[in-house]
Amino acid sequence: MTDRLRVAVLFGGRSVEHEISVISALQLMMAIDPAKYEALPVYISPSGTWHTGEALLDRSFYSRVPSSLGGLVEVTLLPKPGVGGLTKVAGGGVIPVDVFLPAFHGQYGEDGCIQGLFEMAEVPYTGSNVPASAVTMNKYLCKMFLAAHGIPVLPAAVVERGDAQRNIQGVVASIAADPRFGAYPLFVKPCNLGSSIGVSRVEVPGDLAAALAKVFRYDTQALVEPCVSQLMEINVSVRDCNGAAPSVVEIPVSQSGVLSYEEKYMRDGGKKSGQSQGMASLTRIIDPPDLAAEIRDAVTSYATRSFRLLGCSGVARLDFIYDLAASAVYFNELNAFPGSCSFYLWAKSRPRVLYTELIDGMIQAALRSYSVVSSLERDIGLRALRT
Amino acid sequence: MLGSLSVVILAVALLSFGHRRIRSYLRYFQQEEYSSTRFLAWLSQRRAFDTRGTAVMALLAILSVLLPGPWLVPLWSASAAALLLAVVFVVEDDPLTAGKLKLNMTQRASKIALVAEALYAALVLAPLLLINWCCGAPAHAMAYLALCGMVIAQAPPLLLLVANKLLWPAERALQESYYADAKRVLRKVAPFTIGITGSYGKTGAKAALGELLTQCLGPTFWPRKSINTVMGITRAIREQMRPFHRYAVIEMGAYSIGSIARLCDFTPPRAALVTAVGVMHLERFGSAENIYRAKSELALALPTDGILVCNGDSPNARRMAAEHPSGTTILYGLDRGRGHLDCFASDLSFSDRGTSFTLTWRGERHPAFTPLLGRPAVLNALGAFAMACALGAEPAYAVACLANLRPVDNRLVLDRQPGVSFLRDAYNSNPVGFEAALEVLKGLPARRRIVITPGMVELGEQQGPENRRLASLCAGVADLVLVVGRTNREALLAGLADAQFPGERIIAVQSRDEAFSALKDRQLEGDLVLLENDLGDLLEGTVRF
Repeated sequence: MTDRLRVAVLFGGRSVEHEISVISALQLMMAIDPAKYEALPVYISPSGTWHTGEALLDRSFYSRVPSSLGGLVEVTLLPKPGVGGLTKVAGGGVIPVDVFLPAFHGQYGEDGCIQGLFEMAEVPYTGSNVPASAVTMNKYLCKMFLAAHGIPVLPAAVVERGDAQRNIQGVVASIAADPRFGAYPLFVKPCNLGSSIGVSRVEVPGDLAAALAKVFRYDTQALVEPCVSQLMEINVSVRDCNGAAPSVVEIPVSQSGVLSYEEKYMRDGGKKSGQSQGMASLTRIIDPPDLAAEIRDAVTSYATRSFRLLGCSGVARLDFIYDLAASAVYFNELNAFPGSCSFYLWAKSRPRVLYTELIDGMIQAALRSYSVVSSLERDIGLRALRT
Repeated sequence: MLGSLSVVILAVALLSFGHRRIRSYLRYFQQEEYSSTRFLAWLSQRRAFDTRGTAVMALLAILSVLLPGPWLVPLWSASAAALLLAVVFVVEDDPLTAGKLKLNMTQRASKIALVAEALYAALVLAPLLLINWCCGAPAHAMAYLALCGMVIAQAPPLLLLVANKLLWPAERALQESYYADAKRVLRKVAPFTIGITGSYGKTGAKAALGELLTQCLGPTFWPRKSINTVMGITRAIREQMRPFHRYAVIEMGAYSIGSIARLCDFTPPRAALVTAVGVMHLERFGSAENIYRAKSELALALPTDGILVCNGDSPNARRMAAEHPSGTTILYGLDRGRGHLDCFASDLSFSDRGTSFTLTWRGERHPAFTPLLGRPAVLNALGAFAMACALGAEPAYAVACLANLRPVDNRLVLDRQPGVSFLRDAYNSNPVGFEAALEVLKGLPARRRIVITPGMVELGEQQGPENRRLASLCAGVADLVLVVGRTNREALLAGLADAQFPGERIIAVQSRDEAFSALKDRQLEGDLVLLENDLGDLLEGTVRF
């Protein structure tokens, strides 16, 4: 029997989604296969310090941060190859690590920042690489990139914080003059955040400036989009498993959205839709059996293509909007590390993928791509300097 | 001689009792900011002396005299006394978990507690051993010990004062080193500093200005909550000021003539915001003129090219702008009847979402909204807005940022619930704030309107008349009034009677907790309850030891 691989699960971080990351990571460490892997929890505090210790597995630990951090070992990852793991801040000893599993949501963890550090340190890590993470985190770049490849997206405009600070009236006027944003309401949201923080639905032009100012509390760029008045959201997860493989789709349902879903999207009028899953009162319907096959297929096909085009790895979740009035599907956004790793979708997929297998797949993919990257030649010796 | 077991039992009981008592009194000493004078005044005014421990010791003394008997008696009586002290220990609240403001075991508090406990231990053990050694008859020894115990039971508050005095030189040295460290940080970061003072509204204005500057101009440092003393600001600077901070908003509390000048010396302001000059804390200053002089120290500390922004609704803040103008002097307000205003709000309307108004800045009108409620909050927003614009913010963007201001805890914050909703205005009430809260209470939809208040304090001679006046105003808005505590009970009841408010709709209670349980019995769905002021542990209810 070979030795278990030690997987450093990194979570928390300096993002507004800090808490969600803690929840995702705790779930993930419960599901990781203990026969193959040894999970090493590594918590990045809101102030940016890295800590490891058994206490991190206890949920109550987090309500006592920062005082509870005292009982942990502070570590760091040095940005140089060959260290072999995490370096203890006190004393400099090394805690060996075989694979890094970043379980962050949002800034610094899902946007290419920590991936850049992994690249510098030349360590294997799960999930998407630097460019894929960076592009998918920026909603505008991601949409424009995919639009250029024929994936349908809703129109969008980016507003820079500095422009708004200097001349908000000019910014508002230019949006008002843009025919793509002629009809209200509009959606205004942070360009680089994953959660719903800072998002506004602007009903009248007079509220646009305040909505932009709200975004600029959290982000340097705001995204303005038209609001599809009658819409259904459809999400699907994609993972790399000898190519991009999609999960079943889900439909997140708000209380007000249930009716339109049942009335307009189910082939038989939705009599059995929500109930068939026993989840009508919940916020999502997984694998809705009555969803028109062409819609489902379009979403799944756009999702796998987008995943490949962006060069994603690991497990991602892609969110789409279905416009009821226009019968059109639009790509909305991609989460490079979705909440709970979307395991609830994979558990219902065909073939079924349990959370443990999902994590195993992520780690194996990380090792595969590490071996590919490691085979690249980098050192070509001194030439220019020698002459 | 007593048996050694009796001595041990008594010693352990008295030491445990003292341990808890020292912490219980320390909670109040801490709330009085470790001021001996204020703590002693509180002690005598509230008659917060020990009664329970003394009673136990008195009982022990009497028993020892009345029942001189065989050798077993001391052990029995010592055990009985220990048991009673243990009951006291269990019955009394743990200061670390009880009260509105719990005992916070800071380094300073821990040191004071430790020294006080060491002194207390000496006070317990010395007579115990001495009397036990000197006294032949056990009954006599026990009686003498019990008499000593009566004195010892009164010692904890005084030992805290002694401990504080003993520790003061070291504490002062520590504070001076922190002060120097904060100075060093300030020199290095060199933020553009804005000082804020006022009889009320300064914490709300500080938060609003901090937010606006961060959103409109650049990273801004401001100590949270109502930190406004040299030591509080020192700590905030050392812990939270970062090299990227371009602005610093410093609330400057006036505790006496010279205190703002000292703060200005510490964090020299280049701009100043004066939210109001009223009669709050009149007792500390002696006269309204002294309050004006104390607050004027901020305007006087500005450089010649400074920026002075004053609330034109407050006659003395307006006077300050006239008597000590700076490079740029700006007046803001709501009441244009008092004279020129550079920045004012009109057409105010309140809803559950917040306050809508028209903001006029140097002749230009902007439709504006803020999630904050009430005239004082709008005034604070105006002051912050005027200062931000004077510092270079784009007015239209600053107006947009007003829509995203966050309320400061307990300053007229609406807490809508499916059953009973609360309008929380528990922070340090004053006549202007109280009146504004009633206006909001009246303006918001509700089934019945209920006011819970202990009235206002620190208003000097005006305290009685002002509480009476506001109670009369309550009568015009409220369907039910709960008067909390004894501090202002007479004046509040008189005011309600002046307005012929029916007696059956008035409930007088001892404490906030009692008010809530009285409310529970009477509340109906859709009620809106205004919590106006909260006097804190030092003034509320009865303290019994």
